[in-house]
Amino acid sequence: MPLRLLKYALSKNYPGTRFFKAHETPKKSYDVVIIGGGGHGLAAAYYLAKEHGITNVAVLEKGYIGGGNTGRNTTIVRSNYLTPEGVKFYDASVKIYEDLSEELDLNLFYSTRGHFTLAHTESAMRTMRWRAEVNKHVGVESYVVGPEEISKACPQLDMSCSGQAPILGALYHAPGSVARHDGVAWGYARGADRLGVEIFQNTEVLGIDVQGGKVAGVKTSKGYIATTKVLSAVAGFTPRICEMVGMDTPIVIHPLQACVTEPMKPWLDTILVSGSLHVYVSQSSRGELVMGSSLDPYEVHSTRSTLDFVEGLTSHMLDMFPFLSNIKVVRQWAGMADMTPDFAPIMGKTPIEGFYLDAGWGTWGFKATPISGKTMAETIARDHAPDLIHSFRLSRFEDYELTGEKGAASVGH
Amino acid sequence: MKLLTCPVNGTRPLSEFVFGGEYRVPPAADCSDKVWADYVHNRHGAPGIKQEWWYHAPSGTWFIAERNTLTDQVIRTFLKGQEGKQ
Amino acid sequence: MSARLARQKGEWVNRASTIKFSFEGKEFSGFEGDSITSALWASGEQVLGRSFKYHRPRGILSLANHDINVMVTDGMDTNIRGDVVPVAAGMALAAVNTDGGVKKDRSRLIDSISPLLPVGFYYKAFHTPKKMFPFWENIIRKAAGLGVVNFNYPRILKRKLHAHCDVLVIGGGATGLSAAYEAGKSGLRVVLVDENAQLGGSLGFDWGGSQESANLLQELLAKLESLPNVSLIAGAYAAGYYPDHLIPVVTREGITKVRAGSVIMASGAFEQPPVFRNNDIPGVMLGSAAQRLLHRYSVKPFSNGVVFTANDYGYRVAQDLLEAGIKLAAVVDLRSDAKDGPLAAQLARRGVKTIAGSCIYEVQANADKTGVKSVTVTEYDEKTNEALTRDKVTLECDGVAMCAGWAPAANLLYQAGTAMRYDYGVHQFVPNRLPAGIFAAGRVNGVYELAQKVQDGARAAAQALLHIGLDVPELPSVQPSTRAQSHAYPIVPHPKGKNFVDFDEDIQVKDFINAAKEGFDNIELMKRFTTVGMGPSQGKHSNMNAIRILARVRGVPVEQIGTTTSRPFFHPTPIGHLGGRGFHPHRLTPLHDVNHKLGAVFTDVGAWKRAAYYKVAGLGVADTVLAEVEAVRTKAGIIDSSSFGKIEVHGPDAALFLERFFTGNYISQAVGSSRYTMLLDESGVVVDDGLAHRLAEDLFYLSSGTSNAAAVYREMQRWQQIWQLDIGLVNVTGAYAAINVAGPLARQVLSGLVNISLDDSALPAQSIRETEIAGVPVRLIRVAFVSDSTYELHIPTPQAAFVWERVMGAGQALGLKPFGTDAQRLLRLEMGHAMPGIDTDGLTNPYEINAQHAIGMDKPDFIGKRSLQIIAKRPVKKTLVAFALEAGYAGEMPFECNLVIRQGEIEGRVTSIAYSGTIGRVIGFAYVAPEHSALGSRFQIRADSGALVNATVVSSQFLAMQK
Repeated sequence: MPLRLLKYALSKNYPGTRFFKAHETPKKSYDVVIIGGGGHGLAAAYYLAKEHGITNVAVLEKGYIGGGNTGRNTTIVRSNYLTPEGVKFYDASVKIYEDLSEELDLNLFYSTRGHFTLAHTESAMRTMRWRAEVNKHVGVESYVVGPEEISKACPQLDMSCSGQAPILGALYHAPGSVARHDGVAWGYARGADRLGVEIFQNTEVLGIDVQGGKVAGVKTSKGYIATTKVLSAVAGFTPRICEMVGMDTPIVIHPLQACVTEPMKPWLDTILVSGSLHVYVSQSSRGELVMGSSLDPYEVHSTRSTLDFVEGLTSHMLDMFPFLSNIKVVRQWAGMADMTPDFAPIMGKTPIEGFYLDAGWGTWGFKATPISGKTMAETIARDHAPDLIHSFRLSRFEDYELTGEKGAASVGH
Repeated sequence: MKLLTCPVNGTRPLSEFVFGGEYRVPPAADCSDKVWADYVHNRHGAPGIKQEWWYHAPSGTWFIAERNTLTDQVIRTFLKGQEGKQ
Repeated sequence: MSARLARQKGEWVNRASTIKFSFEGKEFSGFEGDSITSALWASGEQVLGRSFKYHRPRGILSLANHDINVMVTDGMDTNIRGDVVPVAAGMALAAVNTDGGVKKDRSRLIDSISPLLPVGFYYKAFHTPKKMFPFWENIIRKAAGLGVVNFNYPRILKRKLHAHCDVLVIGGGATGLSAAYEAGKSGLRVVLVDENAQLGGSLGFDWGGSQESANLLQELLAKLESLPNVSLIAGAYAAGYYPDHLIPVVTREGITKVRAGSVIMASGAFEQPPVFRNNDIPGVMLGSAAQRLLHRYSVKPFSNGVVFTANDYGYRVAQDLLEAGIKLAAVVDLRSDAKDGPLAAQLARRGVKTIAGSCIYEVQANADKTGVKSVTVTEYDEKTNEALTRDKVTLECDGVAMCAGWAPAANLLYQAGTAMRYDYGVHQFVPNRLPAGIFAAGRVNGVYELAQKVQDGARAAAQALLHIGLDVPELPSVQPSTRAQSHAYPIVPHPKGKNFVDFDEDIQVKDFINAAKEGFDNIELMKRFTTVGMGPSQGKHSNMNAIRILARVRGVPVEQIGTTTSRPFFHPTPIGHLGGRGFHPHRLTPLHDVNHKLGAVFTDVGAWKRAAYYKVAGLGVADTVLAEVEAVRTKAGIIDSSSFGKIEVHGPDAALFLERFFTGNYISQAVGSSRYTMLLDESGVVVDDGLAHRLAEDLFYLSSGTSNAAAVYREMQRWQQIWQLDIGLVNVTGAYAAINVAGPLARQVLSGLVNISLDDSALPAQSIRETEIAGVPVRLIRVAFVSDSTYELHIPTPQAAFVWERVMGAGQALGLKPFGTDAQRLLRLEMGHAMPGIDTDGLTNPYEINAQHAIGMDKPDFIGKRSLQIIAKRPVKKTLVAFALEAGYAGEMPFECNLVIRQGEIEGRVTSIAYSGTIGRVIGFAYVAPEHSALGSRFQIRADSGALVNATVVSSQFLAMQK
C-alpha cells in the first residue's frame, strides 16, 4: 500500500483540503474570462496561469465542475485520426495525458490498453489502412491487423459477430487509453486554483458585452465582469454563447448517448470500436462495461435518453459478445455533442476581437482536453493561434478548406 | 421511441422518419461569396422553435415539422407549401 | 435451526413444494415461492454476501431488489440478486466477489485497513512513480467488479412486444390498484404493472399488527376482477420513461414496450436506513424488509430484536414482529417527542418499552461476525445530531429492524421531467410540476395513510382520464401527509465510523464530510467523488441520506442541495432483454437464387447482397476474378446489376428537373440517348454519379450506383418539394432487375434475342432502346462502364430470372461467363472510371477529379453551382490522376490508401490500385499535387513495408496501353 495513504490513516483530523476554493462573488474585472468549467476550460485556465503567467482569470461554470461532456463521455483517449493535422494534434494530447497524473498529482487512472477499430467491410478496411498510413507517417503507433491478432487480444470476441458482420481486420492503435474523466477536470481545477485562477460554479453567463467589434465584458448571474478576453469552452452550449455575440457557426447539437453495465471481474483488456456495428466499449477499473454508439440522428439540446439507442447498442454488443445476455445495463445517459460538418473542432480566434472559441468537440473532446487547453491558452495569451490548430480555425469554412476527419471520427472515439 | 405525425400518413414512430436538417431559404445566387459560404456552412445552432425537413421513409413523404429543439416537442407538421391549409 | 413460521394467510411460499439447493457448498432447502435470500434466512443462514469495498459480511437490507451485497452466481449466470430471484431446485449457488468463500473471504482483511482507504483514495495514490501504476492498477481492477462473467453463457433471444393502452398504472399497491379500478370503470384499456411477484405492494406486508391491509387488498383485487379491460401484470417493472409515454415493461420473458395515453406513477417509496455504526451487520435490516420476510415468506427476521425508528412506521413494524411471536428488547426512537404518544403506549401494553430521544449508537457483532450480539443505545440530541454517549445502555438482541423514513420511487417521474419540491410536512421530495399526461399518487406523492392512498389513486385516475379526453368529474386533491414520515436527519455520528450510508459502495458518513472538505460539496460532485448512488442499486437507499448529510455540512436546507439526475434503468436490465432479437435487414436481388446456383460468393454492398465472384473448383479467388475479367475482355461476361438505383422522372419539366439537380445539360439531350449525371451537395462536394437515359421528351430513366441510390432518390424528392416542377418521380429500383452483358461477343450473344439492330450505327454508345426478349419488355442500354461493348438490360423483376436464363443460353456457345463485383471493380478501373466514394472522399470537389467536362457552369443553376463559383477561384489542392507502375514491376504491391510521398511529406494517396492482366501492368488512381499531375509526371507510393514504389501519371485510357 503506498505510503502516501498513511497520512489519512494516522491523522486525527482528515488531512484533505479543498481542490478548488468556493468563490462566491466575482471581481469587477479579469484579464481573461473562461466560460465553461469543464476539462477544456479548466485546462486552458491552468495553462494560462502556468505557462503564460496570466492568473487574473475567472472560470464561469453554469452548473458544477466537469458536469458537461467531461463527465459524460466514455473516456477514450487516442490519436489515430485520418488527417495529418488531426493526428499531430491528438498525439500531442496523448503525450501530455501520459504524464498528467504526475503533473497534477492526481491519479487519473490513465490506462493504456490498446485500441482496436474493427473493420467488417472492405471499405472499412480501406479507411483503416488510410488512417494507419497517416498515423505511421506522423509517428503514431497504429497499424492494420488481421483477425488472429484481434482474437489474441480479445479471445472472447465472436469474430463472426454472430455471423452478421465477420471481422476482416482492425486498425490497432497502441496508445489508445482510458482515463477517469472527472479526475481530469478536478485535477486541472485544482492546478488552476492553486495558481490563482478563480473558479465560479453555479454561475451562468447571460450575455457578452461586445463594443465596436471587441469584447468588453460578460454579464453573469452574479453580476457584470469587465474583460477584454473571453474564451468559450462550452461544447454543447456553444451555439447559445455564440448567439450572445451574434455569431453563427457550423455547429449543430446532437445528443450522444452511452450506458454502463453492472460491475464484473475484469475480462475486457482492450478498447474495442466497431463502426459497422456502431459500438465502442471498454471495461472501467470499477469493472463496468462502458459502452457508446453513434450520435442521435437529429438536433436536440437536451440530455434525454432514448430506448432505441440502448436497444440498438445492446443488440450489437450481443453480436460481438453473445455471452453477455444476462449482464445488466445499470444506467444510460447522454451528452450534447457540438458537431461540425467535417468532424474536426473549431479553435482559435473569431471575427470578434477578444472572443476565442474552443468548440466543435462533437464526440471527440475528452481526448483533446490537455492539448486544447494548452493551445487555447497560447492563443489567448498571444492573440495568435499556434500552427498546431491552424487547420481547426473557424475561417476554414468560409475558405472552403474543411479538415476531413469524418472517416476517423464517426463512432471511433 | 418518440412519435411524429406525417401530414399524409398520420402519427408514426420516429424510426420511420429521416431528419433532413433545418428548412432554410438560400440567398439569391448573386449574393457575395461570403454570404453564400455563410449559408452553406453555418447554422443558427441555438435552441428554439425551428422549421425542419423530415422524411417519412416508407411512403417517401417530405414535410416540414415545427419543433422546439430544446424540449424536442413538435408543434405542428405540414407539407411544404401547404402551411396555411388545414 | 429453522426460522420459518407456521403457515399464514397470504404467504407467497408454497409449502407443498420443497426446493433443494446449495449455497457455498452446503445443502439447503426452501419452498417454491422463496427468494434465494428468504430460503437461506429461513435456514438460519445470515452471511449471504460480502460488501464491495471492505468485504464486510452482509445479509438482508431491503428484500426489495436493491440488496446489492447479496449477489450470487449459479455457475452459469452471475450477479443474481438473492433478495428477489426465486430459488430453484438444484441451484448450486455461491456469493460473488469473495476470495475463498463468503464465510472465510480472505479479502475481509481490507475491512481492518480501511483507514488507509479514505474517500477517493485511488485519486490520491498509485500514480507516482508512474512506472508503478500498471502494477497497482492491476490489483485495483482485480479487486473491483462483482461477479465473474461466464463466456459460455448462451445468447438468449428475448421476445419484444408492443402494447398500447389508455392508462398505464405503475405500481400495484393500494394506490395503484385504486387508480386502476377508477380508470378501469371507464371501460378504457388500463394496464397495471408491478415489479413484485404478487400484487398488493405494502398491503401485502405492512400490516401494523392488524388485518386492515390484507382485507383491503382482497377487496381491491375482487373489484378489479370485474373489469376485463384492466390487465394486472405482476413480476413486471417499468424500466424507464421515454418521450411520448413510452415505457418498457420488463418481465423474465422479455420487454413489452407500452405506449400509454397517460401514466399514473403509483410507484411508492423506498425505505431509507438510519445511519449508525455497524448498521450493516447481518440481522440489521430495514423495517419493511423484516415485514417482507414475515408476511411474504413466513420467516422470522430474528427472534429477539430491537426496532430502531425515527418515524411512526417503526411501530407498525414492531406490531408485526410481536404478532409473529418475536421478542422485542425495545423500540429505540430517535425522536424525543415519541415517548408519550399513543404508539408507545400501545407497545407498552404489549410489554415493549420505548426508549425515546435515543439512538442505536452502535451494533456489536457476535463472535464470528455472522450476526448481531447486542446494541448500544444512547441518548440523541436532535438539535446537534450528536449521540450523547455519557449513558450507554447495552441491549442483548440478535437483530435490528430500522426505520427512518422514505425516499419517493420517483425515478420515472424525474426521467419524464417532473420538477420536485421538498415538503417539510412529510419530509420528502414530492412532485411539484408534472409533465402533461403524467400523474403521481400515493407515497411517491407524499401520501401515506391507507384511506388517503386509495383516494389519491382514484384522484390521479380521474385526471388521467381527463387528460385523454374523457369527460369525468375531477376528484378532490389529496395533500401530502402533514405528519413527517421521514426523519430530517437520521444520522448517528461515531468516531470509529462504519456507519454506512451506501451499502453498495461501502460509503460511511465521514466519507461525505471529508469529500465536502475537499471541495466536493455539490451533490453531483459528491456523487462522483464518493461514488454514492453509483452502484447497482443506483442510490435507492442512499441518495436521500447523502443529500441530508450534504445539506447539514453546508448548512443549507435540503431543497437547495437538489437531487442527482435519475436515468434509466429503474432496475438494471439484462442486455439480452434490451438487445432482444437482432435484426440485420438486407436486400436480395431478384437474381439471388440464380447467382447462388452459379456458385456466387456474396458481399455486402450497402444493404444489398451482391455476387463478389463465382467460385470455380480448384481456383483461388484472385485467379477466379482474373478469369472473369478475361472472359469480359476476350469473349463476354454477364453481371447482375439489379441493385443499381433506378429512378423515373416523368412530366413536362423532367429535363428541367435534371438540369437543376445534376451538373450536366439535359434539355438538349436526344430521346434514346444517355448522358452522364453528377450530383453535388450545396457545398460543391461530389456526392454521386450515374446516367440519365431519355426514353421520351417527358420521360427520363436514371440509373446510378448501389450504395447511394436511396439517399439520392430522397434528395430528389426534397428538391422537387422545393421546386414544385411539373414532374413525377418513381423509384423503380425494385421494379426492375438489371443485367449487363459485356465484352467483344456481347452483341453476338444478344443479337438473336432482340428484334432490333445492335449495330453501332443503330445503337451507338450512350443510347437506350425499349425492346423485348422472348416477349418480356426490356430497356436495352448501351453503356461503357466495364467495357466498350456493354449492353445493360433492365427487365421487370418477375421476369428477371427467365431473361437471365435466356441470355445465358444464348451465350453458352460463345463462352459467356458470369462475373461479380470484384471483377467489375477491376474492369471499371481498366476503363479509367473513377468512382465516387472510392476515388473521392467526403470533401472532394469536381475540379479535383478533373470533372469540368461534366459541369454546365453556363446553366442558370444547379445544386452546388454557387459554391463551385467560389471554389473555382481558389487553387486546386490535389488532383486525381491515373497512374501505372513500371512495366514488369515485381516488387511489393502497394494497396489502396497507401500514401503518395514526396520529399518525406504526404502529397496524396492511392485510391484504387490493381494488377490488370489485360494490360499487364499495375494501374490505379491516386491524388497528387496539381503541379505533379501532368502526363508522364512521376511520384512515389509508400508501400506497407515503407518501401517507396515509383509510379507514373498516365492517361486514364488504360486500355490504350494494351499492346
